[in-house]
Amino acid sequence: MTTDKGLRLGEVAFGLAVLALGVFIAFETWTMPVVGAATTVGPRLFPGLIAAGLILVGLWLQLEAVTTGPVDAEGIEIDWPAFSLVASGLLLQIVLLETLGWIVAGTLLFVMTARAFGSRRYLANILIGVALTALTLLVFDLGLDLELPIGSLFEPLLDAIRK
Amino acid sequence: MDTLSALLHGFSVALTPYNLMWSAIGVTLGTAIGVLPGIGPALTVALLLPVTYNLDPTSAFIMFAGIFYGAMYGGSTTSILLNTPGESASIVTALDGHAMARKGRGAQALATAAIGSFVAGTIATVALTFVAPLMVRVALAFGPAEYFALMVLALTTVTAVLGDSLPRGLASLFFGLALGLVGIDLQTGQARFALGVPELLDGIDVVVVAVGLFAVGETLYNAARHRYEPEELYDLKGSKWMSREDWARSWKPWLRGTLIGFPIGALPAGGSEIPTFLSYLTEKRLSKHPEEFGHGAIEAVAGPEAANNASAAGVLAPLLSLGLPTSATAAIMLAAFQQYGLQPGPLLFENNSSLVWGLIASLYIGNVLLLVLNLPMAGVWVKLLAIPRPWLYAGILIFATMGAYTLNNNLVDLVILWVIGLIGFGMRVLDIPVAPCIVGLILGPMAEQQFRRALAISQGDLSVFVTHPISLGLLLTALLLVVVPVLLRRRRAKHITA
Repeated sequence: MTTDKGLRLGEVAFGLAVLALGVFIAFETWTMPVVGAATTVGPRLFPGLIAAGLILVGLWLQLEAVTTGPVDAEGIEIDWPAFSLVASGLLLQIVLLETLGWIVAGTLLFVMTARAFGSRRYLANILIGVALTALTLLVFDLGLDLELPIGSLFEPLLDAIRK
Repeated sequence: MDTLSALLHGFSVALTPYNLMWSAIGVTLGTAIGVLPGIGPALTVALLLPVTYNLDPTSAFIMFAGIFYGAMYGGSTTSILLNTPGESASIVTALDGHAMARKGRGAQALATAAIGSFVAGTIATVALTFVAPLMVRVALAFGPAEYFALMVLALTTVTAVLGDSLPRGLASLFFGLALGLVGIDLQTGQARFALGVPELLDGIDVVVVAVGLFAVGETLYNAARHRYEPEELYDLKGSKWMSREDWARSWKPWLRGTLIGFPIGALPAGGSEIPTFLSYLTEKRLSKHPEEFGHGAIEAVAGPEAANNASAAGVLAPLLSLGLPTSATAAIMLAAFQQYGLQPGPLLFENNSSLVWGLIASLYIGNVLLLVLNLPMAGVWVKLLAIPRPWLYAGILIFATMGAYTLNNNLVDLVILWVIGLIGFGMRVLDIPVAPCIVGLILGPMAEQQFRRALAISQGDLSVFVTHPISLGLLLTALLLVVVPVLLRRRRAKHITA
């Protein structure tokens, strides 16, 4: 997926996505239960307008993709493996955050992103990742009273130390 | 005189050592984060939001003012030395600024940008001081119908005037408006589009969307592209000072840039892209050396940078006095106000005058601090540009996810961040503007409320929007802004084919 063709596909897909979102909102609005007294303008008018707007723009984009083609005719190359590495790093962080905690999940994200940008110095990256996440945890949890999770796995351990 | 005494009161608030400290921290953090490639002012403000959670509102907004101006200064350093403008307003600076850096005149480009920003920022802040109270007076005459028309105008200009494709801008706008629908309808308590997820009942946070589009989307894009796009970083060398000729060629563009930037920024239709382009074109036309433009003309850095900073101050006028954000950065500032339970607008000037005037006074102070911070310390900021890219982007993601998670301490925000990040990547690849989405997300629900309020008052009579003269005028302006460029483009196209 490098050239003109890929981008044109992208444009069509984008137009379809906008269209689909419009249809979805229209459907949800249609089936939305209306509670309370019938006011002049209920909670359904704006969603309806926005759905209509999305559908029209979606169609317009299709038309544009077919007739004029992509604005950037050169097309651009995408390094999909690097992209997937970053995207899955973020997903892993979501899955692991509350059990393994901010430091482990964050460090993993750090190392995976660094790898996606071509860095293979795993040891250095792990150290920086741990330092950065530990520092933010300390500053935010102790200094600013926010709660970055320590991780449910480590909490019993921490309690044991405190005792 | 009223304004002056209010401003003096503002200074007495902003100049207390405690608030002065937050202002200094704000400008330093703002510059440091704003300098990092790929991070524009909007993202800088969004990423630094969590830092202010525990401050009282006045200190928090004094710090914000510092972050906001600091990020503007930092952004110009990046576009000059690295040619990666953090947001569209610095694209123009990057043209000649980077050309100057390539010729070994990076230090002079930075200097004219910094001093120009100082001059423009200061003059524009003075203008803001006097324009904001006037706008407040106008705003007092506004009812729901006028507010609704004003929001339509702002949404139209953000969408139609920027970028070269109307359907793309509209797609981004409607996507933002759709995101804004999620949550409990304020008037009826009806849950909309929450998909059965209780965390969605509070709506989707603007900060999560901004961080997702700018930080996550940008990182994904750069991860996918870094192999194909080598960067050139030019270090500072030679004399660090501007020569007499540099000064002579810079001062007029500074003033002209300010003159162009502030009014356009202050219009409820604002933005900073148009004034920077206008300033560039003006300087090119007036210059004795138009052939140098594009190859490192100092006027082409001085003018647009001044225009950029002046419009940034201008954008604060409708934000503070009408509660109307006209840029992505302003949208995030508005979200910050809302987080403190404050609604910018005439009432804010009435009820929280220490906060408003403290904020405005701290803009003056921030500008001075930034000049001091930027001229002698330019070398330090340049070091930040040299951070290895793997660490830079990995670090950006750490801070982005931290910011999203700590908003409400739940994973749902991280999931939203991920989804929006992927969408942001797609938008970046397909060259779809991001600002309409963010402004739409925050203005959409506000516009809906005003619309329904107006109709409740008029008992369902739709004609209120056209029988109120101010409302009618605003709506007509919005219509013209959409129609005229389309007609012009069509005429131009005809000329080319004919």
